[in-house]
Amino acid sequence: MEAFYLEIRNVHIGAVLASGALFFLRGLGVNLFNAAWPMWAPVRYLSYTIDTTLLTAALMLMTIVHQYPFVHAWLTVKVLLLVAYIVLGSFALKRAKTRNARLAFYVAALVVFAFILSVARAHDPLGVFVSGRVW
Amino acid sequence: MTNARQLWITLIILLVVSFGVLLWSGREIEIAKPPLPELVVSESGETIYTRDEIQRGRQIWQSIGGQQLGSIWGHGGLVAPDWSADWLHREIIAILDGWALAEHGSPWAELSEEDQNALQGRLRARMRQNTYDEQTGTITLTDYRAEAIRGVSAHYESLFGNDPATEELREAYAMKNNTIADAEDRRLIGAFFWWTSWAAATERPNSNITYTNNWPSEPLIGNRPPASMFLWSAFSVTFLLAGIALLGWHYARTHAHDPEPHKLPSTDPLRSVVVTPSMIATGKYFWVVLALFLLQILLGALTAHYQVEGQLVYGYEMAEIFPYSITRTWHTQLAVLWIATAWLGTGLYMAPAISGKEPRFQALGVNVLWVCLLIIVVGSFAGQWLAVMQRLDISQNFWWGHQGWEYADMGRFWQWFLFIGLMIWLVLVGRALWPALRTNNESRSIIALFFLSAVAIGLFYAAALMWNEHTHISIVEYWRWWLVHLWVEGFFEVFATSVIAFLFTRLGLIPVRTATVAVLFATIVFMAGGVLGTLHHLYFAGSPTPVLALGASFSALEVVPLAYIGFEAYDQWRLSGATAWMRRYKWPVMFFLAVAFWNLVGAGLFGFLINPPLSLYYMQGLNLTPLHGHTALFGVYGMLGIGLVLFCLRGMKPDLVWNEGILKTSFWCFNIGLAGMALLTLLPLGVMQLLAAINNGYWYARSEQFMQQPFVDLLIWMRVPGDTILAIGALTFAIFVASLWLRPRREGDAIPASEPKQPGIEPPPESGKPANAE
Repeated sequence: MEAFYLEIRNVHIGAVLASGALFFLRGLGVNLFNAAWPMWAPVRYLSYTIDTTLLTAALMLMTIVHQYPFVHAWLTVKVLLLVAYIVLGSFALKRAKTRNARLAFYVAALVVFAFILSVARAHDPLGVFVSGRVW
Repeated sequence: MTNARQLWITLIILLVVSFGVLLWSGREIEIAKPPLPELVVSESGETIYTRDEIQRGRQIWQSIGGQQLGSIWGHGGLVAPDWSADWLHREIIAILDGWALAEHGSPWAELSEEDQNALQGRLRARMRQNTYDEQTGTITLTDYRAEAIRGVSAHYESLFGNDPATEELREAYAMKNNTIADAEDRRLIGAFFWWTSWAAATERPNSNITYTNNWPSEPLIGNRPPASMFLWSAFSVTFLLAGIALLGWHYARTHAHDPEPHKLPSTDPLRSVVVTPSMIATGKYFWVVLALFLLQILLGALTAHYQVEGQLVYGYEMAEIFPYSITRTWHTQLAVLWIATAWLGTGLYMAPAISGKEPRFQALGVNVLWVCLLIIVVGSFAGQWLAVMQRLDISQNFWWGHQGWEYADMGRFWQWFLFIGLMIWLVLVGRALWPALRTNNESRSIIALFFLSAVAIGLFYAAALMWNEHTHISIVEYWRWWLVHLWVEGFFEVFATSVIAFLFTRLGLIPVRTATVAVLFATIVFMAGGVLGTLHHLYFAGSPTPVLALGASFSALEVVPLAYIGFEAYDQWRLSGATAWMRRYKWPVMFFLAVAFWNLVGAGLFGFLINPPLSLYYMQGLNLTPLHGHTALFGVYGMLGIGLVLFCLRGMKPDLVWNEGILKTSFWCFNIGLAGMALLTLLPLGVMQLLAAINNGYWYARSEQFMQQPFVDLLIWMRVPGDTILAIGALTFAIFVASLWLRPRREGDAIPASEPKQPGIEPPPESGKPANAE
């Protein structure tokens, strides 16, 4: 499996960027332009597909590098923040009742996403606060 | 004589003849099975193994999970090797290396092709020679073979223990450390493995075919498919085509004209059924179905994960608590248990609904049976865990621990308990149905068929009680497949067909007479291939050639009705939109449509892929087997179970508004997830293994050299998307069911006062628009 480490890592990073970019655009559409397309079925299914790919690659990487959530702190933080990001994202796109609330959740979700990226880059639970860079 | 009466007579004659031939085949296997020797000695008089040691070795193998950890003669788990093929290959190489070192000074693999072939030719004749003496019950082996056996035995003693030298292999095979705690027991498991490999390599008396019909493929000793296998494979395809042609003619004849006009009821006939206390009591069965189903998926994920991390689950040493052998045992057992529970619940719900009579203490019986089911699940699982963890004495294993026979793994006590439970179920269903069965109207035939398929499911579990602790493995396999095959490819099919047709008659969508004739005809077609098709599982389990011929011919016929399942699916789809109120049943019907789809793909196409003897010779125990297993068992019977649960829930809580969005998500996740699992992993990996088996021998396709390749690892990981989507389907389905109890939403309009509640669900009087009006 190690033979495919770089390819899998690239797929994982690509899926992370695609997932974040899609969320960014959908959030913009919902919150700034009041557009309907962010919730169209093909867009939602694209999001599910990207996230499933991301998850699969993440699980593969864990077994290759032998580092696991709830064993290694930086992965634990990533998983917990991922849950927070999903919840915030859900409110940002759909569940929050007012436009202002949606916007607040949207910004919060993007901040959490950026921090997850910094944790992944630094391999440290403090992320940007240790490395000084988000990417 | 009516058409239905003729069909009943035909069905009875067919079943009598088919089971007669099946029993005769059992006798043939009994006569032709490979002998279990009293003694295995070397030419110089050294005792290698005794009968008792081989027998005890088998008991030990069974106690660690048997067919759940690796396989014997191709039957069993897929991650560890096939022990018969693995032992055989190791023994062959040990002999060849011994000769090569003695005569040429280097291992066999390093010799020139000419020298290799010379040694191989010598080996082939000697390995295949049958040295069993019937009079004394003794197998005599050459001294060099005895030496090779000692070497292979040492390897297995290391592998099943805690030896660091074989640690990587244990990880590759997903075996826990110290799989067998006692050193002498580790030696004895080798005795059993050796005997199964001896049967695979040794020619029957006066024949040039081995006891296992030359299985496994092993080019080094000339184990290749015999002529009979080519012959009967070709004939099986011919029979299939003939069957399809005949049934096509029948369909053309019966579907050429429009169906007789049939008036549809203007309201949902089931909506006004009185829900009795025992029907309400079946609700808890459906909760158990959900719990078992979710647990099965979790265990499936664990089992699949062991293929990549061996003993770990994302770094956690899970194999120390729940090793592969136990997770696979529970995963396969739960598949049967949750589907069976769904069907048991459906039978108990439907019976009083059909007759309109609630027998005394029926609800109490339903509750007691439910408690029994829980005790059986928890008790049998605990026994299996204790056995696999080697905490149960071997003398207790057969009754309380792990029998090691795939799908019939639970200890004998629990098997009896389950059989008694099924009998209680039959009594409960029978007594509630009795008033309807005694009523002389046109519904009686289809109710009888529904009940008979339930009786058959219950009674045929008794096949699991037909062997004992020391019954010959060929005979155990014979009875085990009575249980597994006759259930899934016989009575389950009949149950599925009859219950769906029956429900449509109760909804008033198809005339009872039409449904009765269609179901009877379908039953005849299913059972024509289904009963003797049992033998296709026994090609390589010590059976003689006539059994192979019968199995090949009749199992091909099993696919015939599946080729036309599109007719049935189209009718169901058409009926789902026949009236406005049928929208209430949209999702049960969608799941029934999924049953038809997976019946064609999973049971029909993927089933026939591995069905002809020549195909199965190479494919048995490769990933093409679970390809058929998952898509047919979950695709057909799992989807049916879910459809039936939905149908019962609709009747049990008729006024609730369903969250259709979540059901839609669940439905598509189930189907897409299953397709993903099949197409991204099982099919491509199975095909890769097939090529390896054909080119290098069966042992190689199952070996760690093959299975640990990076690309194979990648394919195994490709299960994650499909499995995840399937799991989301199960979770959303569980949320849907839970919401009916926890957050029920009621319809605004109640049942009109003019539509009184009625006991029972007789087919409604014909009124409203005709079914074929469009």
